[in-house]
Amino acid sequence: MNSMILSYITFVYFFSFLFYLLMMVMGKETLGRAGTWITAIGIAAHTFAIALRWVESYRLGFGHAPFSNLYESLIFFSWTIILLYLIMEWRTKNRTPGVFVTPLAFLAMAYASFSPDIKSQIQPLVPALKSNWLITHVITCFFGYAAFGLSFGLSLMYMIKRLEKGNKGRSFIRFLPGKGILDELNYQMVVIGFLMLTLGIITGSVWAHSAWGSYWSWDPKETWSLITWLVYASVLHSRMVRGWRGKRIAVLSVIGFACVLFTYFGVNYLAGLHSYAKT
Amino acid sequence: MKNQSKQGNPIWGFLCSVRLTITLLILLALASIVGTLIPQKEGAVEFAGSLSPETAKLLFSLGLFDMYHTLWFRFLVAFLALNLISCSVNRLPGTWRLFKASPRPDREKPFKDLPPDRSFLASGAQNEVFGALEERLGKRWGRIRKKETQGRYYFYGEKGRFSLFGFYLVHLSVLFILAGSIVGSLSGFEGFVNIVEGEQVDSIALRNRMGRMELGFEVRCDDFEHKTYPNGMPSQYRSRLTFLENGVPVYKADALVNHPVQYRGITFYQSSYGTVAGDRARLRIERTGSPKETTILEVKVGEAVPLPGKGGNFKVIRTEADFRGMLGPAVQIAVYPAEEKDGELRIWLFKNRRLLQERFPPQMLKAKALNPSAFPPYTFHLEALESKHYTGLQVNRDPGVPLVWTGCFLMVAGFIVTFFTSHRRFWVRAVAVQGGVRVDVSGTSSKNPVGLERELDHLVASLRDKFQARERKNAS
Repeated sequence: MNSMILSYITFVYFFSFLFYLLMMVMGKETLGRAGTWITAIGIAAHTFAIALRWVESYRLGFGHAPFSNLYESLIFFSWTIILLYLIMEWRTKNRTPGVFVTPLAFLAMAYASFSPDIKSQIQPLVPALKSNWLITHVITCFFGYAAFGLSFGLSLMYMIKRLEKGNKGRSFIRFLPGKGILDELNYQMVVIGFLMLTLGIITGSVWAHSAWGSYWSWDPKETWSLITWLVYASVLHSRMVRGWRGKRIAVLSVIGFACVLFTYFGVNYLAGLHSYAKT
Repeated sequence: MKNQSKQGNPIWGFLCSVRLTITLLILLALASIVGTLIPQKEGAVEFAGSLSPETAKLLFSLGLFDMYHTLWFRFLVAFLALNLISCSVNRLPGTWRLFKASPRPDREKPFKDLPPDRSFLASGAQNEVFGALEERLGKRWGRIRKKETQGRYYFYGEKGRFSLFGFYLVHLSVLFILAGSIVGSLSGFEGFVNIVEGEQVDSIALRNRMGRMELGFEVRCDDFEHKTYPNGMPSQYRSRLTFLENGVPVYKADALVNHPVQYRGITFYQSSYGTVAGDRARLRIERTGSPKETTILEVKVGEAVPLPGKGGNFKVIRTEADFRGMLGPAVQIAVYPAEEKDGELRIWLFKNRRLLQERFPPQMLKAKALNPSAFPPYTFHLEALESKHYTGLQVNRDPGVPLVWTGCFLMVAGFIVTFFTSHRRFWVRAVAVQGGVRVDVSGTSSKNPVGLERELDHLVASLRDKFQARERKNAS
C-alpha cells in the first residue's frame, strides 16, 4: 500500500520538475507557483506514505522506523531533499533551484520504486540494526546528503550563470539568481551538510562502538564518509580562511557530491560491514 | 595586521599555511580511497593471490594491505595535527588582541558612506534623547562604552566575542580524537574468543598482536540463543555469560548484539556464533554376506569399539561439525583389522554424502580415505553427530574512548560557534541637529555580512519606533 503511493509520488516530483523547467524557459512565474504546489502536495503524500509504512511494520508484528534498507533509505533521501528545497524556496523566494534539485528527488524515487534489484517489502530488523541509534544516525546522515545535494544543484546553477556574459538577458539564464547569491546559498548548504555529516559520523561511531566493539574500524562506508568529510572540510577551509569564492567552490562542491554518491551507492560494490544498506 | 609568519622563519610559515592543510586533507582523502579499493587485512590475502608476484610485492612493501596502520599514513595524520597546532598558535596573538580590543566609541570611519536608511531623526530634548538611547542600547548589549565630544554622543557595543574562539574549539576537538585513538592503541587491546556452551575460558586471542592474553578471571557461556523471524531472517543472538573469580561465580549478564557486557573494564560484544562437534556420534554399520547384518552403535571419540562379527575394531578419531565449511557433519574413523600386520585404515564418514557426490567426481570418492566400504565386508554410515553451539565474542578494552567522545562533543560545539555565531561590533552616533537628534547606526561583523545587515535594519527600526512612540506619548 505505502509502496504503491510512493511509486506514484515519483511522477508527482517529475511534474514538479517539469513545471519549474517550463517556468524558467518561458519566464512565467505562474508555472513556478504551480510547481511549488505540486511539490508541496508531493511531500505531504510522501510524509503520509512514510508514516503509513511505519504503522504497517507494527501491524506485521516487528515494528521499526522505516530506515532499514536501501529502498527505505532512498525514499527518505528523496523526502529530505524536497523538504530542504521547499524551505530554501520559501526563504529565498526563488524557484529556479527547483529545476536542478527536484530531479535528484525524482531519480531517487524512481530508482527505489522501479529498479528490479530493490525490494520494497517491509522486512524485520536484523540484530545489528536493533538500536536506538538507527533513527538518529539515518536522519543526520540523510539531511547531510540532502544538503550536499542542494549544494550540488546550486553549483551547477553557478556554472551555468557564468556562461551569461555574452548573451546577457536573452536566454533563460537571466532568471537564475545572481552569482553572489548562488555562492552564498551554496556555502550555507555546505555548512548544514557538513554539520549533519559530522553528526552522522559521530552517531555512527557511538553505535559502532556498542555493536561492533570499535568506534572506528575503517569499514569502506566509514572510510568514504571520512573522505567526503575531508573534501568538504577543505572546501570550508579554502573559503573561510583563503577566501575562495565562486567557480572553485562550485567545482569542489560537485566533487564533494560525487563522494557523497559513492559513499551512498558505490561502497556497496566493496566488501564491508554496512551490508544491510545494499538491497 | 600583517601575518607574522611572513617575516619570520620560512619553515614556520610553511607549517602554518592553510595551503598545507588543504594539501594534507586531500592527500588523506586520496590515501583512504586507495585503502577502500584494496582489500585490507583479512581480505588482502585472497586479493594478493590474484595479482602478479611483482605487483603484490610492491603493494606489500608500501603497506597497502594494512594501509591505515602504516607509518606513512600515521605520518600524514601526525603532520595534519602539527599543522593545525601551528595554525592555532600562529593566530592566537591576533585573536587574543581582537578579543581584548576595546575600540574607541568615537570613531568616524564606520559612518563613512553610511546608507540613508541607517539614520533617523529623533525629536525631543537632546539630553533626553541621549539618556533614552543609552538606556536602550545598554539593555541590548549589556556593557556599552560611550563618549561625548562637542555635543556629539558616541556609543559602542558588541556581541558574540567568544565566536572568535570557535575554530580553536574545532581544532582542539580533532586533537582530542587523535589523542583518544593513541591512548586506545597504546594501552588498550582488541581480541576475540569462542566459548562453547557450558565451557569457560580464562584467556583470549589478540587481534593485532600475535598470541593470547590472560584475562585474570574466567568467563563461562551458560547458553547461546539464536532466534529467527518466521521468514528465516535472524532476529536475536544472545549469550548468557557468567564471570568467575577463582572459580566462584560473581557476575551474570547477557551479551546481545548492540548490548555488550562490561566486566572489570573489559567489554564483551556478541559478534558471531557457530557449531562445533561434540564427542558423541551414532554409526550404522552394515555387514554384507548372508544373512546381511546391520548394527547401530553409539560411540565416543577415542574409544576403541569391536566390529560386529569380530572383524577387528575401530575408533572415532576426529569430528567436524561442518567439514570444510560446506560438507556438513563428518567423522574420521580408524579401523584396525584383526590381523595386526595389516595396519590401520582411516576413513572419513559424512552425514550427508550427497553433498560430497554433488561436488566431487565419482572416481575421487572411490579413494580409500573417502569410501565407506573401503573395509569389506563392512560399510560405515554416520547417522548423527552431537553438536554444540559456541558463541564468538569480541573482547576489547579501550581507555581512549572518553577522550574521543569529548572530542566529538567539542567538535559539534565548535561548529555551532564557528558557523552560526559571529563577533559583531556596533557604533551608534547621536548628533544634535535642527529639530532634534540625528542617530546613525553602523557595525562590522567577523562573518555572515547578510546577517549583520539584517540585524542593523532591525536595530534601526526598533530604535526609531521607540522614539516615535515617545513622541506620541509626549504629544498627547
